[in-house]
Amino acid sequence: MIMIIGGAYQGKLAYAKELYPEISWTDGRECTDEQAVQCEGIHHFHKWIERKMRRGEDVSHLAEMLMTQNPDVVIVTDEIGYGIVPADPFEREYREMTGRICTELAAYAKRVDRVICGIGKEIKGV
Amino acid sequence: MIHLITGGSGSGKSSYAEDWLIHKRKRPQSVPCVYIATMMPFGEDAAKKIERHHKLRAGKGFQTIERYTDLTGLFVPDNQGILLECMSNLAANELYHADGSMDDVEEVCDRILQGIRCLQRQTPYLAIVTNEVNSDINAYSRETEQYRELIGRINQRLGKLADRVTEIVYGIPVVIKE
Repeated sequence: MIMIIGGAYQGKLAYAKELYPEISWTDGRECTDEQAVQCEGIHHFHKWIERKMRRGEDVSHLAEMLMTQNPDVVIVTDEIGYGIVPADPFEREYREMTGRICTELAAYAKRVDRVICGIGKEIKGV
Repeated sequence: MIHLITGGSGSGKSSYAEDWLIHKRKRPQSVPCVYIATMMPFGEDAAKKIERHHKLRAGKGFQTIERYTDLTGLFVPDNQGILLECMSNLAANELYHADGSMDDVEEVCDRILQGIRCLQRQTPYLAIVTNEVNSDINAYSRETEQYRELIGRINQRLGKLADRVTEIVYGIPVVIKE
């Protein structure tokens, strides 16, 4: 598993495509669960989490599920926990859950890159 | 040479940028470093912030030019370095109009980059202070979201153009590109 993380509009996907030009991508804003566990790469990963939570699904085993069912996936996701804690209860829960899931995945991933100003930096590697 | 300095609010980006320019000085201090201030001095918050930055720069040999938009037309006198402070204000000033209308993100982005190249030609060292505003949850108005997109795109293009990129984390410089 590979993770590419960073704030919104930092050029994460372009960076990911440069690193892994051969893989095909699924968009977390619209993909099905099947696509998410079968794809080679997923971007807007946080949006997949959000959509599942909005449907009232339990996502507490999402990281584990991906690690067993799609262990080689490349995940591109936003960092969303750097600001003020939102007033809205759903947003609070979603923001926190995304952090927990990504932390679990990052611990498992063999490589994690963080992108800022369009520049990627490996923060965990082999 | 362009040095892009980014980071969160209140992280020490300005004083780092000032010190970096000062250390690059090779000629006598009578040849100034130029500080381009982009913040419009409206309201109490802005006044306080400007006052704080004035104090930070006092005695460091900076000449201040206030410029809120349109860097492309700016003539800068002989200098040893330019500090542009900061991109987040400049981007907002260029994007939003007083009547509530907005310019196109792509156009504003091109315009700002053109202005940066214009400054680059007038100095040996250009330090640009920008801001990280995009690592938060995405639940903003359309107007704010467009601003977030604009600053993100500008930062990406500046990151490519810059010779050095540094992120300041609570006063600690983290090298992103050198």
